Amino acid sequence: MRAPEELAVWNAIVEAFHAANPNIRVKVEVSDWDSYWDKLKTLYAGGTPPDVFAMDAPLYPDWQSRGVLLNMQPYIDATPGMFDDIYPNTLTAYKRDDGYYGLPRDFQTVVLYYNKDMFDEAQLPYPDESWTYEKLREVAKALTKDVDGDGIIDQFGFSPDLWDMETFWSSALWSHGAEVISEDYSKTLLGEPKAREVWRYIAAMVLEDKSVPTPAVSAEYGGDPFAAGRSAMAMSGHWVVPEYAQLDFAWDVAPMPSGPAGRFTSVNSAGFVIAKDSKNPDAAWEFVKFAVGKEGQQRLTELGFAIPVLKSIAESSTFLEQQSAPIKHQIFLDAMEYARPKPTFAGYEEWASIIGDGLVPVWNDEQDLDSTLDEIVPAADEVLAR
Amino acid sequence: MHAGIKPLGGERWWLVVLLFPTMIGLLFGALGSVLATIVISLLNWDLITPPTWAGFANYTSLLSDTLFLRAMRITVLFSLAYVPGTIILSLLIALLLNRKLFGLSLFRTIYFLPTVSSAVAVGLVWSWIYGRERGLLNYLLSFVGIAPINWLGSQNALWSIVIVNIWGALGTGMVIFLAGLQAIPREYYEAGSLDGAVGWKAFRYITLPLITPSIFFQTIITTVHAFQAFEYVYVLTRTANGASNAPTLVYSIYRNGFNFFRMGTASAQAIVLALMILLLTLCYFWLERRLVVYD
Repeated sequence: MRAPEELAVWNAIVEAFHAANPNIRVKVEVSDWDSYWDKLKTLYAGGTPPDVFAMDAPLYPDWQSRGVLLNMQPYIDATPGMFDDIYPNTLTAYKRDDGYYGLPRDFQTVVLYYNKDMFDEAQLPYPDESWTYEKLREVAKALTKDVDGDGIIDQFGFSPDLWDMETFWSSALWSHGAEVISEDYSKTLLGEPKAREVWRYIAAMVLEDKSVPTPAVSAEYGGDPFAAGRSAMAMSGHWVVPEYAQLDFAWDVAPMPSGPAGRFTSVNSAGFVIAKDSKNPDAAWEFVKFAVGKEGQQRLTELGFAIPVLKSIAESSTFLEQQSAPIKHQIFLDAMEYARPKPTFAGYEEWASIIGDGLVPVWNDEQDLDSTLDEIVPAADEVLAR
Repeated sequence: MHAGIKPLGGERWWLVVLLFPTMIGLLFGALGSVLATIVISLLNWDLITPPTWAGFANYTSLLSDTLFLRAMRITVLFSLAYVPGTIILSLLIALLLNRKLFGLSLFRTIYFLPTVSSAVAVGLVWSWIYGRERGLLNYLLSFVGIAPINWLGSQNALWSIVIVNIWGALGTGMVIFLAGLQAIPREYYEAGSLDGAVGWKAFRYITLPLITPSIFFQTIITTVHAFQAFEYVYVLTRTANGASNAPTLVYSIYRNGFNFFRMGTASAQAIVLALMILLLTLCYFWLERRLVVYD
């Protein structure tokens, strides 16, 4: 939830909804993503949860398993063709044996971003679907340099987020035949031999090639050296497009590289859920239906942050020819074909912190990789066992 | 102080009236929160579903909670460095500024500035000072040939945070010590100088004993602050997933309560924290009777 642009769009969606449903009044509240969750929990604790609220797919199991969300299945059954136009890959995260306790409203696939100016200057061809992870490392190294000659690297080849699996390392693991977590979410598989090979590949880029900035250095560029014009490549979802559209250099997107086990990327969604104790479940459902329907999706797409879950809108000019950012938006849709859903399970936030934050000292060259993995994997499994 | 002023007659009535608003706030705000925290610490509560009874499980599980034990260790180390550091440095500054000096009020303002600045804004400035490659501190150190240090990384974050917190507390400490120093009658020094007590001797035998009440007060206040350290820890050491490179107890309470759906555990940790502060304060009062000089 990114105010204030997002508030304006939601108000527009709500206005359209009011026009279509004159008997229902919707009050929109928007806050930034971090404080949103604190606020939501406080509202629940006070016994006044909102009727409809946004949900990040990885956090959905923590909420759904506590039985505080409404099962939408009866409403879905009463709405023929509800799922016909929705990307099936985005629905799986919300599906439970007895139905859906949430529906996706938009989704994100991760792709490779590149700074055209830096490639042009180095006279290197742009990344394309022929790229492998080896090629990525090689080009990243070639594009890493100390421009002003003060002994400090000020142009990095590649700057993925290392703290979260979504933008880089889950795809890298899958492409090398490794796994993040067991299918029943009981065991963290990041310490397995195949996974360790991928960790060593990443560590080599950060610590030997120095083509990937350490988290400490990345933080000095506001956490995004690519946006700061200091990195030739990055991996990210569509959410950065409105911000990047303001950048003063040329950039575009390319498919993810492939590895020995194939080409993979991560797909994750944000959705809508209804509070189980909502006093107006019918009205709440009408709003959810409207938001994931054609009109709501059209408006949401105009915002530019995310990809609509409706195929017909995603494949329309509204998404593919966004005026603000003339890039190859089709690449994000093509990524659906090789995308795996970001793993979602109860205890996700705590697990992700043990792993993601636990590896930061490795990337900062303060701790050994193997002994760190030996320490954090069992700690992460403890969270899964709760 | 022991010899307080006793209110008389109509003054007593005014005393009650004037204290009333504060007492209401304390009673319902502070005391209410304390009671609520005690109750919640005995429950399993994730905030979003009705709580269930847990008994003392939230307390016993702390003994094997590695994150809690780490937070405990960091808080103790933090306090051991922060409390003496703040007291000694702010006393030194107060001594330096307790004289006729050109630009005296300017210096006092400079030292007091951190106290009235927003912790978040100040934290951002410090994050630039502590930067790994573009930071001011590493830049200055490069002139004496010291390789860049990751000040806010997992190995140094605790001490970097101690420095920022001491810096932030100097202003208040200075004011308290200045008040203490200026309350010492000048005649004591004049009499002392006749007996040869000048310089260090004057400080050791006249100043130090007479400011023990200020030192005592400062020790309690900085200890409480040390155990409650949060803002700079949050702004400077938070890692991308919300953990910290120097997680203090209060940070751990915040994480458990709001990020991990464990309000009961968070409350139990808060109670342990409160008990630690209480215990230390009692120790200080015991020491007060032996060491503090009231004239």
